[in-house]
Formats: sequence, structure tokens, C-alpha cells
Amino acid sequence: MIELRDVTKVFPGGTRAVGGVSLDIGEGEFCVLLGPSGCGKTTTLRLINRLVPLTSGRITVGGHDVSTMRVTTLRRRIGYAIQEIGLFPHMTVAQNIATVPRLLGWRRRKRRERVRELLDLLGLTPVDEYLHRYPAELSGGQRQRVGVARALGANPAILLMDEPFGAIDPITRERLQDEFLRIQREIHKTVVFVTHDIHEAIKLGDRIALMKEGRLIQHATPSQLLAQPADDFVRGFVGTDRTLKALRLTNVREIMDAEPTVIGEEETLAAARQAMDALGRTALPVVDAGGAFLGWIERATASEGGSELVASRVTPYAVLGSPGMPLNEAVALMLESATGNLPVVDDERRLVGVVTFDRLFDQLRQSSAERVTPKELP
Amino acid sequence: MLSTTWRYLTSHWVYVGQLTVEHIRIVLIANGLAVVIGLTLGIFISKRGREGLAELVLHVAGILLTIPSLALYGILMAVLKSLGLMSIGLVPVVVALTLYGLLPILRNTTTAIRGIDAAMIEAGRGMGMSERQILWRVRIPLAVPAIMAGLRQAIVMNVGIAAIGAYIGAGGLGQLIFRGIANTRADLVLAGAICVSLLAVGLDVALGVVERLSTPRGIRREGRA
Repeated sequence: MIELRDVTKVFPGGTRAVGGVSLDIGEGEFCVLLGPSGCGKTTTLRLINRLVPLTSGRITVGGHDVSTMRVTTLRRRIGYAIQEIGLFPHMTVAQNIATVPRLLGWRRRKRRERVRELLDLLGLTPVDEYLHRYPAELSGGQRQRVGVARALGANPAILLMDEPFGAIDPITRERLQDEFLRIQREIHKTVVFVTHDIHEAIKLGDRIALMKEGRLIQHATPSQLLAQPADDFVRGFVGTDRTLKALRLTNVREIMDAEPTVIGEEETLAAARQAMDALGRTALPVVDAGGAFLGWIERATASEGGSELVASRVTPYAVLGSPGMPLNEAVALMLESATGNLPVVDDERRLVGVVTFDRLFDQLRQSSAERVTPKELP
Repeated sequence: MLSTTWRYLTSHWVYVGQLTVEHIRIVLIANGLAVVIGLTLGIFISKRGREGLAELVLHVAGILLTIPSLALYGILMAVLKSLGLMSIGLVPVVVALTLYGLLPILRNTTTAIRGIDAAMIEAGRGMGMSERQILWRVRIPLAVPAIMAGLRQAIVMNVGIAAIGAYIGAGGLGQLIFRGIANTRADLVLAGAICVSLLAVGLDVALGVVERLSTPRGIRREGRA
């Protein structure tokens, strides 16, 4: 969809901002341009819609050389969102979002429908409440959403985003990222996304292009980047905790024991003890007749009674995982828990699996090129 | 003295009213011209790459403002006469006031148009707006409050300067002042001065309202609902 061939940008004055970058971005791909400030990632982005003129090399979008297209035509076909948002303060939300459709001469009715659709897509509902507001009347997060909606205005196939979530608080940013991922699954745009935040890059990107001093150092999927850093710069940039970062790329469902041994609440403590001995476990999850998770029964507790029912001695347990939870969150929960086991429940609180440290270590070992042994972890 | 002034104003209110209308007319014609010229020139010199020209123009406009009005009238009379135009009365005064009114309008227009948040311009460009579209849809609407403020400043300033125009036969409230000086009638001078001041204050208030109303809703400070 987007091809960069040996792209170079030298600014007047001789600063070489981008040097010989070649990059292929496929249709529907979410490509993150990552790197420290001054690495040329923003310049690279702006070369695509010609906000920065190219010095040498070739950029094609959908097979067309961008330098041969009319610059306004090119830009109207490509959505563009920036960190400072740049909403027009004298225009309402609706007018802002309809900017490109208006430039393209869409009919009033079509524009209005599109604006409503986008507000709905970005969760700015009820739509009527936002249409006629001005940017000054919105919160930072809402403004950012309008900025994204505006970039999507004329339904472009390509979206260029320059740290669009950079200027907002971490909690809102996290939420906007999640929402944007959800939206992207619906709309399948080809996205080029600039950030200096490795976490954001890992979370959002299908592929990450890591840049340094105007050069492309590594172009790879997030897990490749984490597992096989191309050189010391990449290793340093992704951080020494890259194994832990890689956890974010896997979710609980993929590694949990989906058929854990459980004990019913109507069983006796003696039976529980027996089961634990047979399996060599120190605790077992307790479920009711419907399969709902109740808590844990521990070996020490089970040893005390014989014919008493498990139900009477269950240790209730509030820390629960869900199948869709990324592993980094699961690990955090497990470190808090006394047993080091994370029960995984579905929406009805039925036990669907258990994550144990053993399983986690296996996962870590697979995702890490430099074998991390369980001993090295806390 | 105040009482004689008051007596004069009450007994000659029709005449004073006529002078006030004349006065307003001079100021409005001059500032109308100043707005047209100031905006056109202001927009022209605000374009990227014309910073040097802008500085020069603003400098010249600044110098114009330092010429004493009486001297400027004199200069204009000579110039107009050599051009074969009406050299006394309304014309030289209107021309002079137009020149005086240029600076605040020019200055505010250029500063406002240039000072628009760069992110906004970048966003506009990135979305495929042409420079002309950015000018008319973004820069100018956002510059309106500043331009209006400049116009208001120019008008209030010119109300005072126009009074001196009576000296060369332009009419207006200045006539009261000059007649008072010629006849050592302090009450007439005072009557003229009071009327000029009231007019200036009145126009200032009225234009303040216009300025507020012309500000796009989204950037009015009270606009936050």
C-alpha cells in the first residue's frame, strides 16, 4: 500500500533527517515508526503526504508515485492526525470532522451522515450532544477523539498519525489506545503511527520500524523485535525488561491450563487432601455444582479435617483473571496472590482455566532468544 | 463655566447634533477606507516569505502616526493641490485619518494572521487545504477579533484627531473648539471637547460590543458552556 524506496531527506542547511530508508507497508497493516526524538520518524511520516518535500528516493501510495500527484489531492486521500490535534477552535465538532469531506465537495447530507457515523464510532455519544460543541468545550481525551474522527473524515484508506495520544494523561491514553485498536479491527486502515513509546508501539503495531539518526535499524513484528533485537541499539531501546514487555503480546487464554483439576464444594476435606497428594499440589481451586469458582482449598487446611465439607473451609479469593487478559497483567496479579496461581474465569465467573508460574516460565523461555531460566525471575 | 457650557449645549443642541453627525461621518469614511486598505495590505504582507516587507510597511505606518496631525494636514493639502484635487475641507482630513487608522489595523491583522497556532495550520495543510483555503477558513476567521480590536483603536483615536480637521474646513465638532479659541469663549471650547470625548467613549463601548459579537463562538472566553 505504501512503499518507501531509498528515501532521503536533507534539510536546507545540510541536516540529514532521513537517510536511505526503504519500507513496505501492506494494506491494512498497522506500522509503527518508533525511535528516540530526532531519529527522523516524524519526517519520514511527513514525507508520505509531502508536508516535507523529498530530497531523493521514491514513495508510492497505492502504486502511485506521490510526487506526481497533486499535493492537495494526495493529502485529501490520506487521513492525518497529530499530537497537538490542531482542531479548529472556531468550528464546531461537526464542522471540524467534515473538513476533508467539505474540501472534496461532498453534499451536506452525506457530510452530516458521515459525521454522525464517526462520532458514534469513536464513542462520542450521544452524538447530538457533541455535534455542535466547540473544541474548547471538550476534555483533552474527547478532543483527541475528534482529531482521530477528523482524520477518518472522508474515509481514507491510509491514516498517518503523529503521536496522536502523546499529550494526554496515561489512563486516558491507555483507553484511547484500546479503543483505537477496537476501531482498527473494524475499519482495517493502513496506519502509519509515529511514537517514541515502546509500550505503545508493542501494543498497537503489527510491525515496528525502529529508527535511529535517520536510518531504519529494524523492521519487524513486535515479538521479533523483542526476541531478536538486531543490534545493541535496539536491545537498549526495547529495554532490559523486554522479556516482560513481550508478555503483553500473549493473552491468558494461550497459556492457561484449560482443564485444571478442581474439587467440588460438596466433597470432603479428606478427598481434597487425597487429590492434592496424588497431584503433588499445595492447593486446589474449589467450584460449585455449576462450575463457578469459589476460592482455594489449601493443603494445610485440608489436613485438619476429615469428613468436613470443602465448602466450610474455602479461602475466598478475589484476584481473578480473564481469558483475554494480556500476560503482563496476569503476572502482576499472580505476584500479588499468595498461591502464585491465577484462576481464570469467564463472564459468569465459571472457572475456565488456571495460570501457574510453571506455564508462564515455559512461555518466557519460548519468547526469549537468550533463554531466561526460572531462577532468574523473582 | 460649566454652567455656561451646559447652557450652550442645551440651547444649541440641533447645531451640536449636526456637528456630531459630521464628525462621525468623517471618522467612519476614513476608517472604512483604512479597513479596506489595512486588511488587503495586512493579508498581503502576512504571507510567508514577506516578513521583510511586513516590517517595512509597519515601520512606515508607525512613522506616519508620529507626524503631528496639523503638519500632516498641511502636507496633504500641498500634495492634493499639486494633484489637482480638493485641497481643503473633507478630502485632506479623510486622507490623513485613513493614514493614521492604518497602523493599528495593519499591525493587528498581521500579528493575528501570523500568530495562528502552527499545529492548526499544519493540520489544515495535512488534510489537503490549499494555502488560500487555510487563509480564508482558518487564519482570517481566527484573526477577526484582533482585527476588530485594531479597528476600534483606530476609530477612537481618530475621533480626537478629526477635531483638528475643522481647522482646514472639514467641519465636525472641532469647529466648536476653534470658534471658542478664536473668540476666547472657554465654554465653546469645553462644549466641543466634552462632545468629542463623549463620542470617543460612546464609540469605544459600542465597538466593544461589536468586537465581542464578531468573535467566533468557539473562541469567545465566555463560550465555554
